[in-house]
Amino acid sequence: MLDDLTRGCINLHAILRNLEDLCDLDPDARGIIMNKNLSILFAAKSIPPALLVFAKGKCKMTRGTGHHDIKLFFKSPQHFNRMIDGLASPIPLKGFTKISFLTGEFSKLAERLAYFLKPTPQLLEDERYSEINTILTAYTAFYALAEIGNNDPIGKLNAARIADGTVGIRVLNGGPEISLIAKGGKLEIKKGIEPEARAFMTFDSLDTASGILNGGLDSYACIGNGSLEIKGYIPMVDNMNKLLAQVAAYLK
Amino acid sequence: METYKYTKSREYFNRALKVIPAGIYGHLGPAEGCFIPVAAFPFFSQKAQGAYFWDVDGNRFIDYMCAYGPNVLGYNDADVDAAALKQLEMGNCVTSPSPIMVELAELLVDTVAMADWVFFAKNGGDVTSLALMTARAATGRSKVILIKGGYHGVAPWTQKLGYPGITEADVINNIYVEWNNYNQLEAAVKENTGQIACLMATPYHHPVFEDNKLPDVGYWQKVRKLCTDQGIVLAIDDVRCGFRLDVAGSDNYFGFKADLICFCKALANGWNLSALCGIDALKEAVSSVMYTGSYWLSAMPFAAAIATLSKLKKLNGPQVMQATGKQLTAGLQKIAANYGFDLAISGVPSLFYMRIANDDSLLLHQEWVAECVKRGIFFTNHHNQFINLALTNEDIEFTHQVADEAFQAVKKRHPEVG
Ligand SMILES: Cc1ncc(COP(=O)(O)O)c(C=O)c1O
Repeated sequence: MLDDLTRGCINLHAILRNLEDLCDLDPDARGIIMNKNLSILFAAKSIPPALLVFAKGKCKMTRGTGHHDIKLFFKSPQHFNRMIDGLASPIPLKGFTKISFLTGEFSKLAERLAYFLKPTPQLLEDERYSEINTILTAYTAFYALAEIGNNDPIGKLNAARIADGTVGIRVLNGGPEISLIAKGGKLEIKKGIEPEARAFMTFDSLDTASGILNGGLDSYACIGNGSLEIKGYIPMVDNMNKLLAQVAAYLK
Repeated sequence: METYKYTKSREYFNRALKVIPAGIYGHLGPAEGCFIPVAAFPFFSQKAQGAYFWDVDGNRFIDYMCAYGPNVLGYNDADVDAAALKQLEMGNCVTSPSPIMVELAELLVDTVAMADWVFFAKNGGDVTSLALMTARAATGRSKVILIKGGYHGVAPWTQKLGYPGITEADVINNIYVEWNNYNQLEAAVKENTGQIACLMATPYHHPVFEDNKLPDVGYWQKVRKLCTDQGIVLAIDDVRCGFRLDVAGSDNYFGFKADLICFCKALANGWNLSALCGIDALKEAVSSVMYTGSYWLSAMPFAAAIATLSKLKKLNGPQVMQATGKQLTAGLQKIAANYGFDLAISGVPSLFYMRIANDDSLLLHQEWVAECVKRGIFFTNHHNQFINLALTNEDIEFTHQVADEAFQAVKKRHPEVG
C-alpha cells in the first residue's frame, strides 16, 4: 500500500530534487535556466518544504525554507502529487509577476527531467542518455529510500532497524557516490561518501546500478557474481535493502 | 603461502545462477553467508572428511563452520555412517516406521535431563514452530516472548514486519525483550498477564554480527520461576548449542529445567533430523497438534543419531570441544595482539564468536577472515564458528600459522592499526 505523504515527500525531495543534477549534467537543461536568477519555495501541507534556487546557470535544491521569489502552496500531499501527475495546479501565494517562469522555463525543465527519468529501449542505446538516466535514477532511488524510511509505516520499521552510522554507496565507472546517514531510526541522504562510513555498497557499473534500482536484476545474484559488493556492518545494508525493495513500488 | 583460486566454483555458480534463485540461496550462499569479498570464498565442495572439506577446485579447508553446526564428530564419521548404512539395508522411508525410532527416543529421554518424551522432525525450524504451537495448545493463549536479535528459523512468525513475504498477522503475537534484561521481561509479562503462551530463547545469546552473551548469574533461575508462576511455557531453542555445551541439554548446563527444548544440528552428525523434547505435562498438548512431514520418520537419521549421541557421550564431546575451542581462540588472540589487533572472543568456546574490535564496522575483521579463507581456514565473519571432535593439534597449529600470515597481510594494508 502506497502512502500519500510518502509519495509526496518522494515527489518533492527525491524526484524534483533531480533538477539540481539535471542542470549539471544536461546542456539543454542548463540552457533553459542560463539567465535565470530566481527562487521557488514548495510548501505542501505535511511535507517538509524545499527551496529551489536558480542562479548563474546552476540550480540548487535544499530542504527547508529561505528567501524566495515564488511560493507555491499545496493543500495536502495528495494535492502536490496531483500536480506532479499533471492533474492539478499549485496555489501561488507569492510571486504572481513571475508566474510566467513556471509555465515557461520551469515546465520545460520538468519535461526534460521526465525525458531522462522515463527511458525507452531506443533512448537507452544512446550512451550519454543512458549515463544521465542512471545517475538520476540512482539519486532518485536513494533519496526516495530515505523518504520511505522516514514516512512510510512499514518503511519506518525497517529504518528503525538500521544502526546509527553511514552507509557509503558507490556506483563505479561514472556513477555517483552517496551517503545514507542513519541516526536514531531517521535517515538522511548526502552526496559524496564520508570517510568514516560503517558499511559500503558498491555497484561495479552504471548498468548494474540501473538494473538493480529499476528492477530486472536480482541483487542477491549480483552479490554472488561480484557485480554488487557489500562490506562493513552488513545489518545496516540488509535493512537498507528492505527499503530499496519498497522504492521500486513507489517509483513504479 | 599460496592463496587459493576458485575457477571451477565460479563456473558452477554461473550455471547455478541460471536455474537456482540467487545461485545458492540461504546461509550457505555468498549473500547471506557474507562472503566478503566473494572472490575469497569457495562456492561448492567436492568432498569432506573429518575436520576438512575440499572445494571443487581441489582446495582443502579446515572447516570451522561445520556446515553451520551439524558436523560435530567429523565429516563422514565411520561409526555414524556405518549405522546409517546398516539401517538403509533394512529400510529407510517406509509406510511403517522402524522401531529404531523408539530406541532413539529412549536414548534421548535417558540423555537429556528434562526430557520425558521426544517428537522428531527434520529441520530446527520444524521444532521451534512446534514448540510454539504446543505452548499455545497447552495454554490456550496466543502471545510469545522472544529475545531481540534471536534466531529461531525462517517460519513467518520468526521474521519481522517489513521483510518480504511477511504480513502483520504473522508477527502480531510476538513481544520482544532484550537479552539478560529480567526487569524488562517481567514488565512485558505483567503487561500481558494471562496472554503469554510461551517464552522462547536460546540458552545464551548468540546473534550474528555481535559479541555473544552468556546469561547473567541467576538470570535463568529467575526466568524459570517467572514462567512457572505465570503459567508460561519455557521453550529453549538448543538447535545451535545443543550437545556442544552439555549432552544433557544446555538448560542443564546453565542449571535450570526447560519445559520444551529444540534440538537439531549436532544431533545426528549431518544426517537430517531434529527433535523436540518436553515434559510430561505437555505430552497431551503436543499430541493434539496437527504436525507431520513426508520424511520425518525415516530410519537412517535415527540410526545415525543413536551412533552420534553414544559417541559424544563416550568421548565427553562437549568438554573436549570446549577445551579445543579455548586452545584455538587463546592462540588466535595472542597472534592478533602481536600485530596490534584486538580479537574479541565471546560465547562458549565450542561455538565461539570472534571479531576484530579495532573498528565498529567489521571491515578489518572481514579482511582478515578473507585472508584466512584464501589460505585454507574456513571461518565466517558474521556468525559464531563451530568446533568438532575431529580437529587435531596439528590442525590448530596450522590454523594459528595461517591466522598469523593473514594478520600480517591485513596489517600491511592498515599499518595505522594498533
Ligand atoms: C538457534 C537456532 N534456532 C533455529 C534454527 C533453524 O534451524 P533450521 O535452519 O535447521 O531450520 C537455527 C539455525 O541456524 C538456529 O541456529
